Amino acid sequence: MSIIQVRNISKIYNKEHIPVRALNGIDLDINKGEFTAIVGPSGSGKTTLLNIIGGLDTPTEGSVNIHGTDMFSLKDRKLIDFRLHHIGFVFQAYNLIPVLTALENVMFILQMQGRPHKECVARGMELLKQVGLEDKVDKRPSELSGGQQQRVAVARALASKPDFVLADEPTANLDSKSTSDLLDMMLQLNELGETTFIFSTHDQRVVDRAKRVLTLVDGEIETDEVR
Amino acid sequence: MNILPIISLSWKNIWRNKTRSGVVIVAVILGTWAGVFMSAFMYGLSMQYIRSELVNFTSNIQIHTKAYNIEPMPEYFIPEADSIIQVLEQKAYVMEVTSRTKVSGLASSSSSTFGVTIRGIDPDREKKVTQLYTFMKEGDYFEESRRNQIIVGEKLANRLNQKMRSKVVLNFQDVDGNISAAAFRVSGIFKSPNSMFDESNVFVRSSDLSRLIGHPGAVHEIALLVDNFKNAPTYAKELSFGDALEVQSWSDLSPALAYTDSMVGTMLYIVMTIILIALTFGIINTMLMTVLERQQELGMLMAVGVNKIRTFSMILSETFFLAIFGAPFGVFLAWVGITLLEDKGINVSAFAQGFEMYGMGTVIYPELQPDYYFNIGILILVVTLIASIYPSYKALKLNPVEAIRKI
Ligand SMILES: Nc1ncnc2c1ncn2[C@@H]1O[C@H](COP(=O)(O)OP(=O)(O)OP(=O)(O)O)[C@@H](O)[C@H]1O
Ligand SMILES: [Mg+2]
Repeated sequence: MSIIQVRNISKIYNKEHIPVRALNGIDLDINKGEFTAIVGPSGSGKTTLLNIIGGLDTPTEGSVNIHGTDMFSLKDRKLIDFRLHHIGFVFQAYNLIPVLTALENVMFILQMQGRPHKECVARGMELLKQVGLEDKVDKRPSELSGGQQQRVAVARALASKPDFVLADEPTANLDSKSTSDLLDMMLQLNELGETTFIFSTHDQRVVDRAKRVLTLVDGEIETDEVR
Repeated sequence: MNILPIISLSWKNIWRNKTRSGVVIVAVILGTWAGVFMSAFMYGLSMQYIRSELVNFTSNIQIHTKAYNIEPMPEYFIPEADSIIQVLEQKAYVMEVTSRTKVSGLASSSSSTFGVTIRGIDPDREKKVTQLYTFMKEGDYFEESRRNQIIVGEKLANRLNQKMRSKVVLNFQDVDGNISAAAFRVSGIFKSPNSMFDESNVFVRSSDLSRLIGHPGAVHEIALLVDNFKNAPTYAKELSFGDALEVQSWSDLSPALAYTDSMVGTMLYIVMTIILIALTFGIINTMLMTVLERQQELGMLMAVGVNKIRTFSMILSETFFLAIFGAPFGVFLAWVGITLLEDKGINVSAFAQGFEMYGMGTVIYPELQPDYYFNIGILILVVTLIASIYPSYKALKLNPVEAIRKI
């Protein structure tokens, strides 16, 4: 049973002036526990697709169903709440709040969900341990390396036990060692915790580690390869 | 409550750019300090003016017959003034009472003649109500018990070309409407802070004047001081001595003073509001800059599920904290300054030679009513909250997708 059903998604930017067709009739199913890379040349629509799956952007046409919820039938407020409870996000940068420590950053999402303080601390500690940062819990983002910051971001994305984690080029700002470490960690979370990851990347080494690779070209899925 | 993490985050965010927030906070401290202190200065100045006018001339409450108020004729004296004075002296809030025989007349020397108000006073009682005795330049304040002594203002003395011991002839009507004249001898020359008053008022003994107008003991005016001049209008309403008499407080007697009193109260808030609005623009500007700088981060927060109410509250509380943080320090500093200078005063003689003319002296004693601090607190809260709305609204208008695209 797939947890994400993308049906006939099209996205046209700038409809009135110079229309840009970023996505063209995408159909896609993502199953629980997948580790999927979305690749493709620059401008092929990777970010647009991830944003639409994540409910950040609305498609011009088509629907996205997550666990049976038609995401774009939700009102604005509900959609934000839906993201809070069901989707984890990792961005390329600016993932963390600079004035909060690693632990506080992870806890923040849980606090937004209204979880009791004790639970927030416990889960935050557990997650930072899982991403190998148990000795950095009290560090601010500025005191962490880029790779460590992205690990905290992954921990934060996992905090609310989302249905899946979306990551748009999570390794774009990292050196090869950090990239490989982050991938190791993500794979481990995927294998041990059955966390579903969908990420975009330009990095062939990252692509090589994926279990499913979707190639986008000009807003259409050209190949869908399960390894 | 899960708005608490948002508020705690706002507080931490303030200290992100310490210099910038520091500048805003210092501006708020200086602004509120200057505003409150200036208000205290203005208020002190005005109250000093009012008090000196009251204690020098007007007193707090005066009683006359209604007829005398319409036309001050000598026959319109207060019947049974003594029993009224006795009643007044029983009142707990009445501090001092004096009575006057008061008629209009002409003062002439061998060279010229001027219209004057002749004030027949009871020197000992008068001393406790008004300050004439402190204004003596020459001679004394009815210390000798000789008859028909007169104290004139310096200005009038010069105009009449008279010195100590000179003779002044006063012309006035008696209670029967006949013109009478009497010679007085200058036993003192005074100079009050109000030169117009000095020019048109002369003082004699009430006993001399009432005898000369043909009704010994006649009293036209009862003047009193009460515990607090601010309460005088209330007391005046309460006091009633029949239909023929009119009890007036200083605010009835001197609308200009009453106006000053009410105006200064309003002015203080206007000044403070202007200062706060000026500060507010700086704060709004700073916060708009902050929102702009942090748009990726705000976009990220909205993307991961921080809803609009929380985003709005976050910027609102951050702006609010930033704006409000310095205010207590500013108000406190002002309070310290006011308390220190309340008794010592500020000597402004270097800048303000004109003040003395108005009877205010050249030392200003800043003062504020306690409720002003409270009202200012409320005013700061309200203005700050209003100022917080705009940057928060701007943050809401951020589109998370666009903000994240900028990453
Ligand atoms: N806000 C927008 N307005 C207009 N056109 C847009 C907008 N965002 C994206 N596009 C266009 O949509 C197309 C797809 O963009 P998208 O960012 O999804 O590509 P991408 O595969 O993520 O590229 P990259 O690898 O460079 O990140 C591009 O042609 C892009 O120029
Ligand atoms: Mg992209």
